Amino acid sequence: MRPLTLSRLLMHCAILSAVLFIVVVVALKLGAVPVSLYGLGHDLLRVLFRQTSQLSSEYQLIIFDIRLPRILLGIFVGASLSVAGASFQALLRNPLADPYVLGVSSGAAVGAIIALIVEPHLALAPAVAALLTPVGAFLGAAITVTAVYFLGLREGQIDSSTLLLAGIISASFLQAIIMFFMSTLSGGNYRGIAFWMMGELQTQPPQIVSLILRFGFFLAAGIIYTTASDLNLLLAGEKEAMHLGVDVRRVRLVVYIAASLLTGLAVSVSGAIGYVGLLVPHVMRLLFGSDHRILLPTAAFGGAIAVVVADTLARTVVSPAELPVGAMTAIAGAPLFLYLMRRRLA
Amino acid sequence: MSKRKDARRSFSAVCAAAALLLCAASWCPALRAQTPPANPLAAPVYKDFVDEAGRTVHVPQPVQRIVSLAPSLTETIYALGLQDRLVGDTDYCDYPPDAQKKTKVGGAINPSLEQIVALRPDLVLVTKSLNLLETVQALDNLGISSYGTDPHTVQEIISSTHRLAEVLGVPEAGAALGADLERHLADLRLRLNGLTPRRVLFIVWSDPLISIGKGTFIADAMRLAGATSIVDSAQDWPHMSLEEVVRLQPDYLVFASSHSDSAQNDFDVLAERPGWRGLEAVRNRRFAVISDAVNRPAPRIVSAIEDLARQLHPEAFPPHSGDEKKIPSPAEPQLSLRLWDSSSGVPAFLEVCACAL
Repeated sequence: MRPLTLSRLLMHCAILSAVLFIVVVVALKLGAVPVSLYGLGHDLLRVLFRQTSQLSSEYQLIIFDIRLPRILLGIFVGASLSVAGASFQALLRNPLADPYVLGVSSGAAVGAIIALIVEPHLALAPAVAALLTPVGAFLGAAITVTAVYFLGLREGQIDSSTLLLAGIISASFLQAIIMFFMSTLSGGNYRGIAFWMMGELQTQPPQIVSLILRFGFFLAAGIIYTTASDLNLLLAGEKEAMHLGVDVRRVRLVVYIAASLLTGLAVSVSGAIGYVGLLVPHVMRLLFGSDHRILLPTAAFGGAIAVVVADTLARTVVSPAELPVGAMTAIAGAPLFLYLMRRRLA
Repeated sequence: MSKRKDARRSFSAVCAAAALLLCAASWCPALRAQTPPANPLAAPVYKDFVDEAGRTVHVPQPVQRIVSLAPSLTETIYALGLQDRLVGDTDYCDYPPDAQKKTKVGGAINPSLEQIVALRPDLVLVTKSLNLLETVQALDNLGISSYGTDPHTVQEIISSTHRLAEVLGVPEAGAALGADLERHLADLRLRLNGLTPRRVLFIVWSDPLISIGKGTFIADAMRLAGATSIVDSAQDWPHMSLEEVVRLQPDYLVFASSHSDSAQNDFDVLAERPGWRGLEAVRNRRFAVISDAVNRPAPRIVSAIEDLARQLHPEAFPPHSGDEKKIPSPAEPQLSLRLWDSSSGVPAFLEVCACAL
């Protein structure tokens, strides 16, 4: 492992943030309604200098109320999924692990479906009703994570392989529940939940939920980062890490909770966007090495870039209709994963 | 070790900087809220309506620019003669054919919000059974009014059309259209009076077999056409077991299709399947094909109902009196008769004509 220096870390982050910036500008430009790059630059400057009254109002709505919030949501969802994926891959010591491997997304989907089913019977104010799906999804994710944690204990400790088995079986059990509910849903709800399960970023969560997502991301990613060097040692083996003075039990618990929080937050606002959490950490490992002190921040940037790119494609490929962003990430992700795997074997 | 600490500290600095940037970016939309409306010269007049989802909707008067997010609403707008004010509709709005030429905003479930905004609509029309609550909320957040309909019976389709006409500022057109539809239904009721309803199986999807529940407007349309659905389910789109269908033995199978030939094929494929051969209706080739207009809660459903009634109860439509009573509905010219009877495959009206001769 190459020694970590401040300049190396900063350089990688600078490169990736430059890429992210370019991607965001392109994503702001592209969409069902054409916007010129010159006009976009001009208007971004105007907004910065607070001369917003000179912009036409539909234009403002499209750029600042539709595209920008969606891009921001994509950035946080992508970064959360990617950091969670890198963490689970280290925690479970399994390259196939992704944020959903322990059933978090299925649990969230069950929660969201239940919210959809009970919503008409509750006669809630629209503002509260809008919170119901994300809250239901988050509760579903939290309950699943807790249940899988206790199922995955072995002699009072988390055991990677038991945890993995418990997660996978719980996920397939929850999938069966989803199938059952879906067969009873009526037309509109059915299609809604189908799109939700494929992952989508069009629906903007209420303001409060976006704030929680942003705050939760920095909190959980920061906590995971404090264990970055312990995760490096953990990769060498649990016994070895323990002998080198790592409190393996504490690290596993902390990473498990923080990574689950990241996944739960992302899933509850966007549904299950696949492959980002699996693939981006692998790509970043190939590009920048497997030192978690570099891997975690670069994975955050990489995940953000991947989701914003995928969502821009989802918005534009069949414009003005939209594809679910999860379908985009899966179409691009599966071949890329196979390519990386073959390259490693060669 | 100190290097590692440095790295950790610098990462926190990077994080903090990124957080600041992102927060700054996310505050930008807040600036927009402080700006005055784009066009302060014309102060539009607003009128409040309560839509069928119970929401109070602010509707600018008169409504000049309409976006429809459901095929049924697009059809209704055309039936009310307001097609010139329709500035956008969905990819699935295919009737009347002219509706396909309107600017598309995507599908009903996943319309492009920015395309809707770019069309500057006064009002967006949605329907509860098809569109998502999220779409309505997103439109609310963007300051775009949306009016929702939610009809569950044929009568409600008519009254909903009438109310929509009032919202759109053309109450006379709504009253005329409503009266016309009512006249057709009243005529039908007179003709079918005293006839035993046919027991039918309405086939939404044949593999797996999906039919309609008793609470749907399609089931109501069946009743008005002198038929009862054999399916007694509270679900809207129940998945039926073939055993149950064989036990209930429907008199007729009813297909809704835009092409009668494809429905004929569907029937032939079904007739070859083991379980289906046990059905009396299949053995005697008793099936009716009606326009897929029956699937949409729009005025055109009335002509589909008439069409089905003609196929199920030909005795109620003697060929001579038919012509003078035939009043084409504004949305759809009279559909031609389509019925294949017994094994001959000769359309029933030919037989009826032969009898008359």
